[in-house]
Amino acid sequence: MVSDKKQTGGSVLFKVMQQHGVEHVFGYPGGAIMPIYDALYDSDIQHFLCRHEQGAAFSAVGYARASGKVGVCLATSGPGATNLITGLADALADSIPVVAITGQVPMVAMGSDAFQEVDIFGLSLACTKHSFQVRDVNDLAETLHQAFTIALEGRQGPVLVDIPKDIQVAEVEYALELANESAKIKSEIPANLGSALALLSQAKSPILYIGGGVGMAKAVPELREFMASTNIPSVATLKGLGAVDPEHEFYLGMLGMHGTKAANIAVQQCDLLIAVGARFDDRVTGKLAEFAPDAKVIHLEIDQAEIGKRRFADAPVLGDLKINLPALTMPLEINQWQQHCAAMKRDFAWDYNHPGKTIFAPAVLKEISDLMPKNTVVTTDVGQHQMWSAQHMSFNDPSNFLTSGSMGTMGFGVPAAIGAQISRSTDTVIAVSGDGSFMMNVQELSTIKRFQLPVKIVLIDNAKLGMVRQWQDIFFDGRLSETDLSDNPDFVMLANAFDIAAKEISKKEQVTQAIEEMLAHDGPYLLQVKIDAADNVWPLVPPNTANHKMMESR
Amino acid sequence: MNQHTLRITAHNQPTVLERLLQVTRYRGFSVTGMTMFPNDDTDLLDIELSVSSEHSIGHLNHQLAKLFDINDVVITDNSSQQCSA
Repeated sequence: MVSDKKQTGGSVLFKVMQQHGVEHVFGYPGGAIMPIYDALYDSDIQHFLCRHEQGAAFSAVGYARASGKVGVCLATSGPGATNLITGLADALADSIPVVAITGQVPMVAMGSDAFQEVDIFGLSLACTKHSFQVRDVNDLAETLHQAFTIALEGRQGPVLVDIPKDIQVAEVEYALELANESAKIKSEIPANLGSALALLSQAKSPILYIGGGVGMAKAVPELREFMASTNIPSVATLKGLGAVDPEHEFYLGMLGMHGTKAANIAVQQCDLLIAVGARFDDRVTGKLAEFAPDAKVIHLEIDQAEIGKRRFADAPVLGDLKINLPALTMPLEINQWQQHCAAMKRDFAWDYNHPGKTIFAPAVLKEISDLMPKNTVVTTDVGQHQMWSAQHMSFNDPSNFLTSGSMGTMGFGVPAAIGAQISRSTDTVIAVSGDGSFMMNVQELSTIKRFQLPVKIVLIDNAKLGMVRQWQDIFFDGRLSETDLSDNPDFVMLANAFDIAAKEISKKEQVTQAIEEMLAHDGPYLLQVKIDAADNVWPLVPPNTANHKMMESR
Repeated sequence: MNQHTLRITAHNQPTVLERLLQVTRYRGFSVTGMTMFPNDDTDLLDIELSVSSEHSIGHLNHQLAKLFDINDVVITDNSSQQCSA
């Protein structure tokens, strides 16, 4: 312990952050957080001013997902704090380590409906892993240490720390000390692998069902070694994309509602489903009672509450994937099944034929994927372009594909790309967006301009809320209710207004050159890609339908 | 509807009760009874929570056990099952 002179609460905040390796934070100042911003003035931590607190929260999420570190965002009390909520909900749903700091009105005013007072501590209960309200400056440092520890331990997630203004200005004898281990950390109990090993040794047609937990556990090398040894065919969830080497011979791509035909059929046919850091989400399983109907289940998971939540696990394996995956390695006799999966992969490969001159978004995204530099980070928004990106782009690590998986939050893509670009300044970052989602956090173009971030934005533009329009056409008798966006602004002019170079294309023959120009451009760039509004995402498993009963066209 | 009783030990922190009740409601359980005793010696809360639901109690106890301020959850009906946090 190193004694130090008295410091304000605001100063202690940044000192603790530095102890936890924080270099960059995202935020927006306001009345009840002014002492913290005053302390920031003297801190070495770099602050990125966003133009809306939701942008700050998503930039923190993008930063965390691209770097594997904790993302940090700051907001003032009241509306500043409530604007963080969507980002925190997104981080909780996708298990992303974020620490959110909110200013609060002084303690003497709390509970009096003061100006810009809201009970963010109460509001945070349903959208954080844990939250704190500091009521004594002597507790501040320890509380912040706990916040960083909780965000990263076990199943990761967001933690909020609400700090009243008088705590921010109060002085405290600050002693630099190492963070205490969380009370919640328990000694790792070795998982019982016996049942899992027995099931695996008997399996004739096993499938690895890879979820986001592999990337979160930093277990990509262990997964790939396991796959290299066993050659078990595999499928991935939206958040699991990148964990499997995309070139692996028996990797069948994404499963679920917009999964590949090969992936969904293989899962329906398998006799053993090995869920690795996955949670049987409804978008993955389709009709749960008919999901992988003949399969026994091995479930490798860090969160006890996920085991058996939606599907019974014949062999639960609770704990760290980095330990448990290697322990399951064994030689398998599954050649016939491997060849069957490889044949389905070949027979049901994507078809990029698209009649007419209009641009086919899947082909554009495939071409960007082929041309982009290694280790490019791709973020997406939510909707058709998101599913096309998941289907047609390839990633060599989960930290290179950042998409709002569980929460499906429109407005995620651009601010997440900002966070990713700041955490990985030498890597190319591409935000694939849609014309609906793009407008949800369009103010963050100003953040791109201010910090001259070389983010590339690919705006797939059908002048529609395309995914909702697709569902209205298919499931609501074509009654197109509130999905027309034909009065969108001029996106090229809009980008130019933020000093962002931009180009619009609408014909197939323009695609290759436009992608090359975008990737070669030094600074930020927006490529608006106009597509046919009638294009749909296929395949599609209708709601409450078994995954093998997918629609492949109308 | 299945009736269950849980015996919970929690840190006596602000919002621990709110969080406990929020998770209980969100996971589809109705509270049919609740008693709470602060333990002055340990600064812990001893909570007895009675709930009813169509869901298996297993869906609730693990969700409660992983809350940061909750130390221990024991299902006291039928055979006692402990879920250490």
